[in-house]
Amino acid sequence: MADKTYLSDIKEIRVDENSPLFDKTGMLYKEFPSDYRQIRYFTLLIVQSAPLEIKEINLLEQQISEVIKNGVKHGNRCDAAKKVRVWYSFDSTHAHLIVQDEGEGFKDLEKWNEFNRNRLEILSAQDFERLSDYVSFRTQKSDDNDGGNALFAALEYWNGGFVFNEARNAVAMLKSFPQKKHAIG
Amino acid sequence: MELKIRKNGNNYIIDVNGEMDLYNSYKLKELVMKMLEKKVERFIINLENVDYIDSSGIGALIYICSTIKKMSLKLIITNIHGSVKKVIELTKLMGYFPITNSIEEAILQMED
Repeated sequence: MADKTYLSDIKEIRVDENSPLFDKTGMLYKEFPSDYRQIRYFTLLIVQSAPLEIKEINLLEQQISEVIKNGVKHGNRCDAAKKVRVWYSFDSTHAHLIVQDEGEGFKDLEKWNEFNRNRLEILSAQDFERLSDYVSFRTQKSDDNDGGNALFAALEYWNGGFVFNEARNAVAMLKSFPQKKHAIG
Repeated sequence: MELKIRKNGNNYIIDVNGEMDLYNSYKLKELVMKMLEKKVERFIINLENVDYIDSSGIGALIYICSTIKKMSLKLIITNIHGSVKKVIELTKLMGYFPITNSIEEAILQMED
């Protein structure tokens, strides 16, 4: 039987320069050279300022690492002279990031959205044969180390939005965490 | 990341230890490809000691899974937990990967 939950709320990567997610007021800032070997280290420098309760062991780190990797690798093509700039703000209820690279921008964004729509339709139909063709988004520039699946998870994880600027070389994202209820007594 | 192979009947269990990230996930892919060359037909990938996976790690599992499916051989991934499970859930691949909760369950399923 078809599982409609996959289709109930199809999320898309949006382009909206005016999104409030691009408001950098009060955010911390770091910049890094595009050194592929140091992506996880750079990520740790950012994530260390997040409170423990929103880290979900290392899920927050993993999600941030993917976005920094996209900037270093797909945006700046690992050119060490090019920087990845990160604005970030964390508290117990949210994680907000803006990651900007010096690349040409995410040109395949519409193709990605279409691919993801097809993927979700196939998941909804539980058609695992056809799903094989939709587990990894590939472009001519993809290599063997590209999983091609990072943005599927990103769109689910960043529940407050995942939005690119007009040049498509900066992405802003927000994750809201449910406020823990304190026991009354 | 450290990879160890042990044999249980006709099943080859690969114990993965450590993090499956952008720097080392290719090692698991390479190991499975080598085992396929040596005509191994039944794989159990044990992720009990993996607490971190990223899109490269998921990509390696997808590659391994689709290669083994195309060859009509058998693969089971087992002991997925914590944030590894969450990442696979976020990627909506829980139904795509053949998954069991334990090695014992994986071995039983191999016999079906």
